[in-house]
Amino acid sequence: MLKRFLSERPLRLPHIRPYVPRPSDPSIFWFNSERDDVVADVVNRVCASQESDRTRLEMALNDAAFHEIRRLEKQRDEEARDRLGYWRSMIRRIGKMDDIEQRRVLHTIVTNMARDIAGNFDPRVYRFARKAAPRLIGGVMEPRRLTEGLVDGSPMSLDRVLRVEGDLDHLRNLQNRGSLVFVPTHSSNLDSIVLSQALETSGLPPVIYGAGKNLFTNPIISFFMHNLGAYRVDRRIQVGLYKQVLKLYSQVMIERGYHSLFFPGGTRSRSGMIEHQLKLGLLGSAVAAFTTNQVRRVDRPVWFVPTTINYALVLEAETLIKDWLTEEGQARYIIEDDEFSRIDRWFAFFRKMVGMRGGCIIRFGEPIDPFGNAVDAEGQSLTPTGRSIDPGGYVEHRGKAVADPARDAAYTRELGEVLARRYQQDTVVMSTQVVAHVLYRDLVQSTPGMDLFARMRLRGEVAVDRETLHRELGEARDRLFALEGRGRFRTSEVVKEDSPEQLLERALTFWSGYHDSTAATREGDRIVIGDPSLLLYYQNRLVPFAEDIAGPEHLKAACEIEQLGVYR
Amino acid sequence: MSLRIAVVGAGGFGRAIAQASARHGHEVVLWSRRDRELPAPVRTSTDIHSIKDCELIFMAVPARHAIETSEQLGEVVDGRHLMVHISRGLIGPELETITQVIARKTVCRRLGALAGPLVADALAEGRPSGAILGTGFPELTEMVREALGGSELRVYDTPDVIGVELASATVGFLTVVLAYAQEVGVGPSTLAVLATRGMVEVSRIGQTLGAEESTFTGLAGLGDLIAAVAGDERPEIRLGRALARGATLSSAVGEAGAYIEGIEVAAQMMEHARRLGLETPISSTFVALSEGRMSSDDAIQALMERRVGRE
Repeated sequence: MLKRFLSERPLRLPHIRPYVPRPSDPSIFWFNSERDDVVADVVNRVCASQESDRTRLEMALNDAAFHEIRRLEKQRDEEARDRLGYWRSMIRRIGKMDDIEQRRVLHTIVTNMARDIAGNFDPRVYRFARKAAPRLIGGVMEPRRLTEGLVDGSPMSLDRVLRVEGDLDHLRNLQNRGSLVFVPTHSSNLDSIVLSQALETSGLPPVIYGAGKNLFTNPIISFFMHNLGAYRVDRRIQVGLYKQVLKLYSQVMIERGYHSLFFPGGTRSRSGMIEHQLKLGLLGSAVAAFTTNQVRRVDRPVWFVPTTINYALVLEAETLIKDWLTEEGQARYIIEDDEFSRIDRWFAFFRKMVGMRGGCIIRFGEPIDPFGNAVDAEGQSLTPTGRSIDPGGYVEHRGKAVADPARDAAYTRELGEVLARRYQQDTVVMSTQVVAHVLYRDLVQSTPGMDLFARMRLRGEVAVDRETLHRELGEARDRLFALEGRGRFRTSEVVKEDSPEQLLERALTFWSGYHDSTAATREGDRIVIGDPSLLLYYQNRLVPFAEDIAGPEHLKAACEIEQLGVYR
Repeated sequence: MSLRIAVVGAGGFGRAIAQASARHGHEVVLWSRRDRELPAPVRTSTDIHSIKDCELIFMAVPARHAIETSEQLGEVVDGRHLMVHISRGLIGPELETITQVIARKTVCRRLGALAGPLVADALAEGRPSGAILGTGFPELTEMVREALGGSELRVYDTPDVIGVELASATVGFLTVVLAYAQEVGVGPSTLAVLATRGMVEVSRIGQTLGAEESTFTGLAGLGDLIAAVAGDERPEIRLGRALARGATLSSAVGEAGAYIEGIEVAAQMMEHARRLGLETPISSTFVALSEGRMSSDDAIQALMERRVGRE
């Protein structure tokens, strides 16, 4: 009951006096005064697209009723008891309704959807979160320093855990010239939290983002997310209209100059691999925002910021890889019972991270326009040789800017491919990933012909001599540096500075005691592989580069590892 | 409404496209590195800036010149241009396609690949013919049909751009294989098996790069291969025959009288397949043959002795 209440009606603070934004405030400070207008704009556009003919309208209503009945019948909860009757009665009446009645019903359904999705922005909550978040996260990591911070008011530094990389000046330059769309890789539910923190510490603007409705069931998270501009996405709803409303909400917000964030991978990478097949829905909404503004002669550019979030330790690693390895896992889209929902795991995770340098690196890549072109400090789109061009040309057909959804869909597909390449180039290889890769490669090498699932059962059965491992780590590291020199990816400071011996120790310390099982442990002069699935998860980040990291003796095993990226 | 069309490259195909477009009443400029004469109303130029105001660009250069030509085009094109290429090759061990090269070297994004059983002479003379255009942009399909289509050329389209490019590149190699086989006297049944299984082999590799299987069995793949074997006098046929008569690869290429990308494509695809652990019996056997590492009898025996399974 409470869960449903919180996810449908997150708490807001009462307003005594309305907040009047200052010109220097980020665009999102204007959101509350515009929210009704945004919702109305979304509703009008969705209704206009469906009302063009009766067959289409009837189809949309039938589709909505059919999918909602199916979902609610499966859910059998409070919401089902409330809403099932409405949909069942509606599906019986659709055929008998006249045009006016059908349009009225459509308008009601779409308005409810848009209102449910739309977020809120409260500057008071934002200011509080700005001050409190570093202290709270820091406090979780080091409780002793929390009291020090409260007494002397000194800000608690997250630098030891969270490192931000990229050309931040460039992004700060662009933030007042157009809409920035941050498109990060997605490994953990912590991503949106650490990313918000990274934006804040880098002097970048707050963003709106879609968060799964399941995350709103925690009262504290729900309060902060809702009041900091997050809009709610109910992934259980399969209705075509709902998806259209969601995309248009995102589009209208970007058109109006709100900076946005969404994860093009759609969901957390179950395998740990760098995402290469991206979901294009919300990406398309940002492309459409640019083209719509162009057609309306509104000069408000849209730029995408490919961002990678790189963890040495992933909060939910065990659940994610287990999910990937099971057939059921392929279809299990929303995990509600993973480590993210267990507060003890948060504590254990943060404690582990703060004890180790270089736990999380957020890298903001070079911004690009919707067509994959680099942009300069003024936001001009550039050719590969540095000539500036007008991105408005991309929406012209025979000299006129025109709306063309099919064309925009093709641009979006191409943008998805550009982002997938950029994710590889901007990935920062972490210590645990290098060690996991070399160990997993040894496992593959020592079990020729064995399939992936059989290997996952080899717990504690394969060991590598420590000296050999040090040598292999040293060789792998040299090859990683050579590849980094060619721009294939980046390596973390720790990987650069540590000796192979230190690298191994660091990874083993990261792994020990946090996950339920251990990826690898020391036993005298040997390193014993504990849970191969954890090794697989961490090494999967390096799958596209496996062959280039391997020397001749490991080439066969590396080729086999590289195939993981092709068939999955 | 007349289109402003640029044709880049003055080889057989470039000239044929320029003539066909002009015949349909469009304004055409043909760019090439050297001075060329073409019957009016086609305008010729050696200045790459002369194509700047065109809406539609056809790039008709051999794949080995694709990078250099794209770099030149990169100096003049922008987001307004729509571009189609007619090259049959792939670039480098990563099997980069020509549209990928163009996208990397220029800011042109509305791209397509024109392929299939399209023959330069038929196009120039307006004889009935057909082609396939791989593009994600319906407006580009419309424009190409307007430029070349009508009652003379049926231009089908597919969004599987990479499939069209891979199929088109590998047809060249399969054509050499079939010509070789014909010359050494294998029968129609063996030819059919070679053609069909060869296409399956390249299609399997293509799918790992994102291509669709059906594209290989359509106009870009089998359609084009049928035209080649039916005798549209491609240089690949001459190359295959010369190799079968015992010529070395370099002298066979000389005899064919044209640069042929098929052998390179086969070697590149084999390397890619090796990395993925895929079997490529026909490509591997043919590369061994062309390099003189195997006789034709041994090649047929090696292929026939392979384990046979479900299609």
